[in-house]
Amino acid sequence: MKNISVIGAGYVGLVTAAGFAELGHNVSLVEIDAAKLSALERGMLPISEPGLPVIWKRNQANGRINVTSNYVQSLSGADFVFIAVGTPSTNTGKPNLKWVRSAARSIAEAASGPAVVVIKSTVPVGTAGLVAGILARYNRNVHSLPVVSNPEFLREGAAVFDFMNPTRVVVGATDPNAADAVAELFKPLDSPLILCDNKSAEMSKYVSNVFLAAKVSFINEIALLCDAYGVDIVQVEKVVEKEPRCGDGYIHAGLGWGGSCLPKDVRGLIHMAKSHAVSLPLIRNVQRINQRQPHLLIDKLRYLLGSLEDKTIGILGLSFKPGSDDMREARSLAVIELLSKQGCRIKAYDPLAMEEAARLMREVAEVTYCDDAYDVARGSDALLLVTEWEEFKQLDMHVMGSLMNTPIMIDGRNFYDPDAMQKAGFIYQGIGRRGVKAQGVRSFVA
Amino acid sequence: MKNISVIGAGYVGLVTAACFAELGHKVRLLEIDPRKLSALEQGVIPISEPGLPEIWQRNQAKGKIRVTANYIEGLLGADFVFITVGTPSTRSGKPDLKWVRLAAKSIAEAASGPLIVVIKSTVPVGTAGIVEEIITRYGRNGHNLPVVSNPEFLREGAAVFDFMNPTRIVVGASDKNAADVVNNLYKTIDSPTIICDNQTAEMSKYASNVFLATRISFINEIARLCEEYCVDVVQVEKILGKDPRCGDGYIRAGLGWGGSCLPKDVRGLLHMAKSRAVPLPMLRTVQQINQRQPHLLIEKLRRLLGSLEGKTIGILGLSFKPGSDDMREACSLSVIALLEEQGCCIKAYDPLAMKEAAKIMPKLTYCNDACAVAKDSDALILITGWNEFKELDMRKMSSLMKHPVIVDSQNFYNPEEMVKQGFIYEGVSRDITGYGKLEAVAVDNQKQRLHPEQS
Repeated sequence: MKNISVIGAGYVGLVTAAGFAELGHNVSLVEIDAAKLSALERGMLPISEPGLPVIWKRNQANGRINVTSNYVQSLSGADFVFIAVGTPSTNTGKPNLKWVRSAARSIAEAASGPAVVVIKSTVPVGTAGLVAGILARYNRNVHSLPVVSNPEFLREGAAVFDFMNPTRVVVGATDPNAADAVAELFKPLDSPLILCDNKSAEMSKYVSNVFLAAKVSFINEIALLCDAYGVDIVQVEKVVEKEPRCGDGYIHAGLGWGGSCLPKDVRGLIHMAKSHAVSLPLIRNVQRINQRQPHLLIDKLRYLLGSLEDKTIGILGLSFKPGSDDMREARSLAVIELLSKQGCRIKAYDPLAMEEAARLMREVAEVTYCDDAYDVARGSDALLLVTEWEEFKQLDMHVMGSLMNTPIMIDGRNFYDPDAMQKAGFIYQGIGRRGVKAQGVRSFVA
Repeated sequence: MKNISVIGAGYVGLVTAACFAELGHKVRLLEIDPRKLSALEQGVIPISEPGLPEIWQRNQAKGKIRVTANYIEGLLGADFVFITVGTPSTRSGKPDLKWVRLAAKSIAEAASGPLIVVIKSTVPVGTAGIVEEIITRYGRNGHNLPVVSNPEFLREGAAVFDFMNPTRIVVGASDKNAADVVNNLYKTIDSPTIICDNQTAEMSKYASNVFLATRISFINEIARLCEEYCVDVVQVEKILGKDPRCGDGYIRAGLGWGGSCLPKDVRGLLHMAKSRAVPLPMLRTVQQINQRQPHLLIEKLRRLLGSLEGKTIGILGLSFKPGSDDMREACSLSVIALLEEQGCCIKAYDPLAMKEAAKIMPKLTYCNDACAVAKDSDALILITGWNEFKELDMRKMSSLMKHPVIVDSQNFYNPEEMVKQGFIYEGVSRDITGYGKLEAVAVDNQKQRLHPEQS
């Protein structure tokens, strides 16, 4: 049993804290936001993640998780301090290390004995060195505070599972004792362990995420060609996915990648390259293709409806992926912004994310939030499927179509069966599914 | 038991013919090149592929494979005819369908009964339609000859295994019966099957190969960044390969992709896109990155040795991948061309491919072994990661050289081990501490050139 401090009660911090407590360690979570803190003290979690509340409450009840805003209290007797604060993009795409720096400084000032400082946040290459520098500068008691890079690979919606069943544990350090101590923490999880230096660990986190983005943009590029040749991309995906070297998932054409990780990490890597004068033409194109995808939908819509001015467009699904209420860089935001610029009236429904969406969209566009999908369909000139919630498969499409002004469905996720939709009376357009070619694409790419 | 004719005794044709015979069918292989034909009649296989000679000879002895140059004889009583002819790139990158067209015409003219035409060659979207048209035009007997697209996914060096253990069988056809019958040929093989239309089958073959090329160019782009940030790309690859969503394989930084498939198929897909005015910016970049890789290697060498004029460079490995004698679009070709431009003397050794290489590059000095390559060389370049190159006595190798410099284009060796054995080692974004040494050597060289009397 070890004493573990976790800094930051965001997504990663909460899962890490709960996960380590569940593994039998004594965890103290530091959160300086007072409102968050008091909610957590009462066992209320600010994020929705399957399995997390159960673990949290169990370990809080048996005293293995404490929350505090006091670094000194949290770090007293700590063997490990995990930095799990956010690293949001700044305007230039550079990850903002403000919270990492201030956590490092607070750790240095509060440490009352030796502890291993572990960076879990996604940080640019060289950040471990930066943190080591801050620790050395502000650590008045000259304790040994080695810095270990231990990036997280948690999927939203499966984060607890992923914490307990990692596909790989990466431990990057220059101090072999610190590396071993951190590796030891993960030993009960029976996972491949990769020991390397800090910089390799930092880089590998970015590269892993950027590769997933590249897979999606790759297949989105092929989808364009499929449209031109009248080939169904969904069939092509099946063949490509069977390639044993392809890897699971992410070969799926559609609106592209969004969320709190991939866009930020793609920008982060591009910024890292730029600051060392390296060009990343492939990854720039991965990003450009993704920026283009919402335009494709609008193009298809214009092809079918002509001018979009004053047309009523219904949006099915808002969150960045099904099963989540997370709206950070959700594709719906880009789509709605474009529709709004075209002068559309916008109606939307999402099973979980409408509250969050309303908060974010207030400044961007006027959106009418509906009670259900049928309500969205009523009087709409076209529907856009943006997030592929399972419940949207259960809809009675005959009824949906009959409620609409014109029964048009633009399927941004290739979620529906085109034949079934046509049978239900819809004019159906997917992405790369033998539909109309998007005319504006060429100019956009050039 | 079916009667199967296979057109073209190239790589795919030989494997397809031998393996269908092995599965119990009666196979006739059509080849119009008389020299190839007579060799095959004697059981001599023109390609090196593990397991193939055994299967070939066994089934030839039993009379289950016969070779012929005569279409009428070859097609007599056939239930299926597989088109496995080559589709090499033309200069514009467009796949040359000359042999496919010719095969289609010959089939139409020679068919004496109904049979199913199966395209195994990698062909652009729409080719099945072209073949169908040719057959309709030239088919004099009005037999039903449906066209099925059944792309191959064979890896060179493991083609027999891949035929018998496919990762997927793709059967594209507009005629459902024809699709079922072709699918049935594989029924003793346990594999996922995807039944689709011809165009989808054609496109999916390109997309699969092009994805592999994309993976390699992706990691080569990342390798540039790793170099700048002093990160060992091999560690990054290891971590990436452990992500099930990424998958392992084809994420090794190095000289890039070569061989008879990936370059041709990338060009083929780009050409398909161009002819319908679809921009594929990402794929273009994938290709550009690959074209750049040999230049990076030369740059590295220049940083180490200064001017390359008159320097002796030793090449370890020539074939496009270890275990093969195939030199088609091998990366060694572009590296050697660049070295020649710089005025280098080049020595080379490859365990299998020197004969093939000598056909393309007759002026090179070919050595008997790796040590002979090392002797008096200014630098070694490892191009193909043959296993025997791991067994070399590196201490001896380095001592034989004029300058013990090795540029490891495949990240094949352990950098620390190589340094211990006396080498100045350069991988792809690997041992950055080596850079210090590198510059020292470069400076040394500079000095030697400016003040030769001091050395």
